[in-house]
Amino acid sequence: MRQEKSYSFRLRPQHPKGGKRRLSSKLRSIQVTITLTFTSVAVLVAVVVSLMLYNKFAKTAEENANMNIQQIIEQVNYNLELYVKGMRNIFETAEDQITNSPSVDSALLMERMAMLMGSREDLVSAAVFTPQGKYVVGTAGQKLRSNTQLETQSWFTTAKKTSEISYSAPHIQNLFKGQYIWVVSISKLIQYQEKGELKTGILLMDFNFRTIDELSKQVKLGKRGYAYILDQLGNIVYHPQQQLIYAGLKYENVEPVLEYAYRSYLDESTGEKRFITVRTLEQTGWKIVGVAYYDEIVTTKRDLNTFLSWFLAVVILCVIIVSVFLSARIARPIRKLERTLQQVGEGDLNTRIDVSGAYEVEQLSKRFNLMLQRIRQLMDQIIYEQETKRKGELEVLQSQINPHFLYNTLNSVIRLAERGKTEEVVTMIQSLSKFFRISLSKGNNMITVQEELDHIRHYLVIQSFRFKNKFRYEIIAQDEVLQCQTIKLILQPIVENALYHGIEMMPDEGFISIQAELKDNLVVIRISDNGLGMSKETMKVILTGGSKSMSGSGVGVRNVNERIELYYGREYGLSFESEIEEGTTVTLIFPALAKGEGNEGLKEDETSS
Amino acid sequence: MKTFRFWLTLLMCVVLWTTVTSCFNSAPNYINTNKTRNIHLIVKMNRGDYWTTVKLGAEAAAQEFNVELTFKAPDSESDITEQVKMVQDSIKEKADVIILAASSYMGLAQVVDQAAYSKIPVISVDAEVGSARVRTYIGSNGYEAGQKSAERLIKLLKGYGEVGIINFTNSTQSEKLESSNGIEYGARDAEEREKGFLNYTARYPNIQVVEISYTTSSIKDAEDLTQLMLLKHPNLRGIASLNETASQGAAMAIQSRGLKNIKMVAFDSSPSMMELLQDGAVQATVIQNPFNNGYLAVKHAVEVIEGINVPERVDTGTKLIDLDNMLWPENQKLLFPFVR
Repeated sequence: MRQEKSYSFRLRPQHPKGGKRRLSSKLRSIQVTITLTFTSVAVLVAVVVSLMLYNKFAKTAEENANMNIQQIIEQVNYNLELYVKGMRNIFETAEDQITNSPSVDSALLMERMAMLMGSREDLVSAAVFTPQGKYVVGTAGQKLRSNTQLETQSWFTTAKKTSEISYSAPHIQNLFKGQYIWVVSISKLIQYQEKGELKTGILLMDFNFRTIDELSKQVKLGKRGYAYILDQLGNIVYHPQQQLIYAGLKYENVEPVLEYAYRSYLDESTGEKRFITVRTLEQTGWKIVGVAYYDEIVTTKRDLNTFLSWFLAVVILCVIIVSVFLSARIARPIRKLERTLQQVGEGDLNTRIDVSGAYEVEQLSKRFNLMLQRIRQLMDQIIYEQETKRKGELEVLQSQINPHFLYNTLNSVIRLAERGKTEEVVTMIQSLSKFFRISLSKGNNMITVQEELDHIRHYLVIQSFRFKNKFRYEIIAQDEVLQCQTIKLILQPIVENALYHGIEMMPDEGFISIQAELKDNLVVIRISDNGLGMSKETMKVILTGGSKSMSGSGVGVRNVNERIELYYGREYGLSFESEIEEGTTVTLIFPALAKGEGNEGLKEDETSS
Repeated sequence: MKTFRFWLTLLMCVVLWTTVTSCFNSAPNYINTNKTRNIHLIVKMNRGDYWTTVKLGAEAAAQEFNVELTFKAPDSESDITEQVKMVQDSIKEKADVIILAASSYMGLAQVVDQAAYSKIPVISVDAEVGSARVRTYIGSNGYEAGQKSAERLIKLLKGYGEVGIINFTNSTQSEKLESSNGIEYGARDAEEREKGFLNYTARYPNIQVVEISYTTSSIKDAEDLTQLMLLKHPNLRGIASLNETASQGAAMAIQSRGLKNIKMVAFDSSPSMMELLQDGAVQATVIQNPFNNGYLAVKHAVEVIEGINVPERVDTGTKLIDLDNMLWPENQKLLFPFVR
């Protein structure tokens, strides 16, 4: 953990080597984040909306389809009811005529029956049998076969049991010569007269499937859907694939159908979803069953399906494209900024950040530019200041042992010695040695004001020998100021200046006054002379650079000013008041610091160098 | 980096797409009926109730599975050359599947191989053909049918007496065909039935099969042969006929001569045969399932096209029908096709 932290704080970011890390950092990038978020949100919304739409539409479509199917089956039911009613009517007419006819074998009845038979195409045969199964009468021209076993046939047995009209299941009519055909038989126990005698018999009428077929064929329940008819017992009366069912090639699950008279339900027993509608015919008890294939009912659903999936695909594609572009647009300037900043981080402060893009990013780059500019300025300043400081210190060091000054002083000492002025020689050498001691002051930069004043006193003593009492001097200092700290050798250059430029050329005796005082916690040292003075131009030149007295100790007045400014701040330093022929006053002002404080400043200086 | 993101995006798209589409779609599991298939049905003969019913079944399936059915048959069951030519035509016409009821087991073997070579699947219906390239056989077991016939006839004869068989085309009888050199040229179903019948009767020493007559496929010919047989064998007590035309001819001969004491077991279930059965001229008949044969042949043909596995052999069964059981509802459904 610590290791990682130290990595991230490196000046030059190093590229992590692991691929996994690389992936994760790529994944964390603004562009990927925006793309993923935007895409997932949009896709989620699109999917949810489409699902909701789908469900809503699908439900409505399904309901409509179901309603439609029910209506169709209802229609078929109605038609079949009419048809059955028609059959019943014919049967009743025939019964009427037979019952009312004086004799069953009368020619009139035969004629009427023939007419009745001719009226309907689906009417196959009509006949009257005795309850013992003996043939009484029938439509003209039909010949009874042998071995008919009619007594066991369902139409015969049921008619004998009830007095109601009964409808048989589909069966083969084997009674009469000719073709064997599938018929539905209607039968009833009736009364008839034969040779004046009233007898009971069974009237049979056979209908073929032509009309039922036609009625049911019209039912279109989708491409594969169909309708079929069951009788009460579950026998199939009609089925579009009747032969296949008879042959055992197809099955119809009739059990659930038989339980209800009126029902619509979804059947999955065949493995395929089928929508089944059941209606019951009142008179016969037949059930009409509509079978529609669920996937056909819901073609709308499937259409919707395909539409929605295409729609979703397009939306997703669009969203992805848009989000990739959008995120790229947002992320590119930021990435550029990041790259530029990396360059800056690697130390190239001159890099110019010039990123266009979103307003915020533009502003960011502008501010960065300003900041960089400021950093550059500060850096330049620091460099300049450090250089000046070094230079100043070097100069001070040089001035500590100025060979020219030493040579002049020693010359004066020799002259005095030659003249045998021993006392003066001693004073001179003493002053010189003290002067150098303070100059060096164990290499310390800071000394007390006392020491600085002693230093200048010694200097003035030496110089007074050299100038042969051409000037007088006084040093006045408040006691409080003596223990304050000061940078060393700040007075000597100014006094030197006063001597060489102010007093030396003067015909009269010169006077140098040095006053040190503490004022508002500031050390104020005033050095005034009564020398030649300076012009305003010269004053300016002194502080801004340029002329440096080669004859002096080498440390210029400017150096003093700069050193004070660097140590204490720009508000401190030197100030000049001068008048030609009147004299010059130089005032040094810097904050008063006790010894400890001064040391601190010294140490700081050391670390920064 | 660029390619990495591209692939990531692509992957995302694909994943989303599959997710979305898999939610909605599911493949239908029934036979696809959008495509029209060309199926050629070539049977032995273009007449006769039996073949009409086969055709009926085939047509029912054709309607159901959107099949363009081409029905071809020679005029006679013994016209092998014509049938071979028809198969060749079908190959030329590039039928999707050929359904064949071979008039001759060996006679059509070569042309079936030829069809298989042209990548046309061949399905056998009713009568097998001597080729290993046939995809499936749909029909009844002839041997079993022959045995059923024999069993009933022996029962009717109470286990003794002379028996005659009226069968249809067989190699021994078809000298007029260009074929010779000992190859079997009979129809497979005819052979099997005869074999079944003879093997069954062989167990009864008192039953003598005195003659086997082979008729071409005309009722008249069968009638004549039966008359001849009756003349030749005055002690004949029973007749077994082994296909529809033979049965009709034989029954007519018996009926016209009013021979009440000759028992007969017929084959197949034409309406006229039912009438004869009901009249008592014929005591029983062995029925096959022609409708199912036709239907299943076409259905399996479609499955072959679709690449669905089909069973190697489909036995549609045989049944013995007599006067007692002919009106049972389930038999009614077998005997009389529901025609509209």
